[in-house]
Amino acid sequence: MATGFDAQNPPFDRLTQQEVEELRAAADIGYFTPGETIIARGRASDVLHVVIKGAVEAREGEALQGVLGPRDSFDSRALVHRAAGEDFIAAEETLCFLLPGALVRALIARNPAFAAFFYADVSRKLEAFAEARRPEGGMEGVLRARVRDAMRHRAVTIPGSATIAEAGQAMREADVNALFVRSDGRVGVVTGMNLGKAAVLRGLPLDTPVAEVTHFDVVSVEADDFLFDALLAMTRHSKRRLGVRDGDAWVGFLEDIDLLGQFAGNSQLIPGRIDGARSVEELAAPARAIQDQVERLWRQGVKVEAIAEITSDLNRRLLVRLFELVAPPSIREQGCLILMGSEGRGEQTVRTDQDNGLLLAGPVPEAELAAFREAFSGALDSYGFPPCPGNVMVRNPLWSQTLEGMTRQLRGWIQERTPEAAMNIAIFLDAVALTGRLALLDEAKAALFGMMRGEAALMAHFAYLIESFATPSLGVLGTIMASVGVGEDAIDIKKAGIFPIVHGVRTMALDRGIAATATSGRIDALVAGGALEEGLGRELLGALRVFMAYRIASQIDAVRRGNVAAEALVRPSALTSADRDILRDSLRVVRHFREVIGTRFKTSVF
Amino acid sequence: MMGWIRRRLWRAALADPDFLFLLDPPPEGEAVSLDCETTGLDPWVDEIVAVAAVPVVGNRILTSSRFEAVVRPTRMPEAGSIKVHGLRQRDVAAGRPMSEVLPELLRFIGPRPLVGYYIDFDVRMVDRYALHQIGTRLPNRRIEVSSLYYDRKYGKAPPGTAVDLRFASIRTELGIPDLGQHDALADAVMAAMMWVQLRDLQARGQRLRLERRREATAAPLGA
Repeated sequence: MATGFDAQNPPFDRLTQQEVEELRAAADIGYFTPGETIIARGRASDVLHVVIKGAVEAREGEALQGVLGPRDSFDSRALVHRAAGEDFIAAEETLCFLLPGALVRALIARNPAFAAFFYADVSRKLEAFAEARRPEGGMEGVLRARVRDAMRHRAVTIPGSATIAEAGQAMREADVNALFVRSDGRVGVVTGMNLGKAAVLRGLPLDTPVAEVTHFDVVSVEADDFLFDALLAMTRHSKRRLGVRDGDAWVGFLEDIDLLGQFAGNSQLIPGRIDGARSVEELAAPARAIQDQVERLWRQGVKVEAIAEITSDLNRRLLVRLFELVAPPSIREQGCLILMGSEGRGEQTVRTDQDNGLLLAGPVPEAELAAFREAFSGALDSYGFPPCPGNVMVRNPLWSQTLEGMTRQLRGWIQERTPEAAMNIAIFLDAVALTGRLALLDEAKAALFGMMRGEAALMAHFAYLIESFATPSLGVLGTIMASVGVGEDAIDIKKAGIFPIVHGVRTMALDRGIAATATSGRIDALVAGGALEEGLGRELLGALRVFMAYRIASQIDAVRRGNVAAEALVRPSALTSADRDILRDSLRVVRHFREVIGTRFKTSVF
Repeated sequence: MMGWIRRRLWRAALADPDFLFLLDPPPEGEAVSLDCETTGLDPWVDEIVAVAAVPVVGNRILTSSRFEAVVRPTRMPEAGSIKVHGLRQRDVAAGRPMSEVLPELLRFIGPRPLVGYYIDFDVRMVDRYALHQIGTRLPNRRIEVSSLYYDRKYGKAPPGTAVDLRFASIRTELGIPDLGQHDALADAVMAAMMWVQLRDLQARGQRLRLERRREATAAPLGA
């Protein structure tokens, strides 16, 4: 301890005591004078530097990419991949621990948790980072639990030719209330409730073959799946019982009751409450429950993309049910409810806006339309959906009109060539159809793709939105401000990270006429079509997940403090150095991607 | 540099010719940061209980090749000094006698200059054993970090300026973290950190700022 090397500081906290002692014994200390280049870009380094005091700038040519302070380490790439990504220059009188490269590389080979920190690939680093994120409140067990551990109902299989009466007997003997039924090479499930309904409500004789009352659309999970996967399947398919397989064999059932004690979120129960709601008022409770579970799932350590998926599923169900409840027959017949923006991409977790709209096949009575617009958006207001700042919602006639009107509107936006118009096109491009005449949206999008195809100048204009917000360098302001003692550094994750990735990928998707709306789906399609290099695709997705993870943490924090304006602000100074390192890598991916988009769509003309 | 006459005198006093290397020309750009923990502050009576030496080559502090030893004194440390260095009687009892440690320490240091905070005290402590064992004092040049600091901080200060040369004050001013004081190795490492930074400030002609004392009466009331 006498040399002050802090083993609690990530990534060194992942080393064993003995490994820490090895590092401590081998560490030297280096002094660097202001302006001195510690590692030059592209050069290898035979030591890993950990800042003790002072400040080190990471520069790429003229551009300052970040400022490293005490406990930050650099440069893993110079050490492992033999070429530094940036110039590292001492900005002040700086002291660093110098950890011998040979030893660090040996530790990387020996200790996988430590090694994760040194991956060049953001997505792999992120996985390690996500695993390191410990759920709060001692809920680790839930995450690591497998379906196998929670399953309490063993599999009993009977042939489809068995009678209803025999099936009932088998249930009682095995003390289960569902059976697997094998019939004509298929496997289905029959429940006690099915038998009861068959006998009592349909009056079927007790010697009816059980196959006749069996349903064969079994939703299943693997015994080795995480419990969380099961929760997701239940929510998505609105099932309260899942078949459990182990390879080819059916081994049992997992029922929602088995999960009840494990997950506080109970999101598998929300679909039932949504579908069961018979009035706008009754939907309020499940609507609130959707939002409440976001925080619980996050605290339980569920990954952010899974939370976005589950939340988006539930929100869509909610909107469909609300539509069914408030839309008059004319609108239900002519209309198509669409979801746009982050909701359309399925990337929203904590609610920030409404982002919905309505397409109509033909005109409907004006009074009915006006009443519907107000009822629909008003209900969402009352459920706590914040009104969309861009006014993208059914209430706004711009976003609830006929297909013909919308197509005209899109053409107008394209010709307008203002950032606002481009943003509207972008929001519409992310639309998914929820219910009603789904084909209307396909038609509108086909028209949009048609208008943009081959129009390089229009595409350049659209792509240029990516330059709306500069990607900041990490901690530049921080050091300057801290040295004069005012303010603190904060990065708007949404503007600096999420938007450039989403919009760049969206632009490429528009260019290629790709229908997918989720950023991950678009990346997959672009990579498959050869428009995007696979490595960059993986990096973009990794970086996006990093930003979403930081954002949800800051959103939950903002909601707790009641300061929604700060929902996307992340303060690097409040992060651990490993987090800062990942954030820095992710921002580097964004900067690189901006250049790719700028070159491909020639946005430099603006 | 010691004068020729002094070198001759030192050589004549040296009882053990094995240690003649202490007079070799010191290697360019190298020094050793030295710190001792003692049973008290009187070099004539008190004894060393721990010693640490850390080489500095250029701007690199070689903590990986440091010298550290716990020494068993002839008289056990008393409560007062245990409070300072934290070495209890049973700790130093596990140490080695200075007769064994000193030759190793001298070979480790060689002819290199010695760096430290109040380095004269540490050298005087070592000298007592050296006089006894090899017949002479250490001939090494000494580098005092507090005087380098005084020069950078107070060199052109107006008369009447309050001078503060406490170890913790220097450390704080230079932004060096507290590695735990009164541990021989930590003290030697911190002194080495101070030295490399002060030497660089000196080379660049950069001074440390004197913070101006504001008059207590200047507080505007009712403003």
